[in-house]
Amino acid sequence: MQVWARGVLVTLLLASFPGVAQNMPAPEGVELSIIWPPDGEVIQGGKLWVRMGLEGMGIAPAGINMEGTGHHHFLIDTDLPPLDEPIPSDRHHIHFGAGQTEARLTGLAPGEHTLQLMLGDHEHFPHDPPVVSEKITITVLPY
Amino acid sequence: MLPWTVQAGETPAPENAYLYIGWPNDGEILRTGGGIPFRVWFGLRHMGVAPAGVDVPNTGHHHLLVNTPVPPLDEPIPADENHIHFGRGQTQTLLTLPRGKHTLQLIMGDQAHVPHNPPVVSRQITITVE
Repeated sequence: MQVWARGVLVTLLLASFPGVAQNMPAPEGVELSIIWPPDGEVIQGGKLWVRMGLEGMGIAPAGINMEGTGHHHFLIDTDLPPLDEPIPSDRHHIHFGAGQTEARLTGLAPGEHTLQLMLGDHEHFPHDPPVVSEKITITVLPY
Repeated sequence: MLPWTVQAGETPAPENAYLYIGWPNDGEILRTGGGIPFRVWFGLRHMGVAPAGVDVPNTGHHHLLVNTPVPPLDEPIPADENHIHFGRGQTQTLLTLPRGKHTLQLIMGDQAHVPHNPPVVSRQITITVE
């Protein structure tokens, strides 16, 4: 189903059955975490490897519809997106649709930045319940 | 030349794919008394994870080799207590081992559990459970 069509469907179903979400279910006790960097880390320059940790679920590339899986999205300097739409794709919402569990972030300007992980399903929708990491803050120092 | 260059599966892997055990460290002494699970975190760069049975380029799934050498590289990785499959796309696990020295090593398998070409294998580490 096209993403826009699913969005319409979810909206219609939610309108008729409040509380019935159509997002892919996530199991109980899932833990999504940013393994690196730790909260409060100070990074020299704006480039770093980030390591994504997931306990209780598996990783599948975007487009693969398998329950109990999803793919990582990095939220940079932004709050959680709406839970009933696909996670946006822009410089604040980095998709790892190839199933990556580590990535090189580049180009972070000097200053404070918030980082948060969110899992998305095969169509980039958050799960139900949403699988989200703690939000951390890092400081980038200029070279 | 690596000894396995002539022996490998048919699924290509990126030349720069890098697989490693992010935790525990080589030589780590885990004072768990042998009965408490400890976390093993799978590090993978320049390649993605996909569940078993999923055919997407430049992906595979993790296999943890416990106290065993690298298996034959041109056939499916065995599934037993020494070859733990993570076919649901898991990227970390909780492992319980008895007291003593143990070796751990990671190897990626393709959708049919066969190592890639070139094989994506981590360094073997040794840990001690006390």
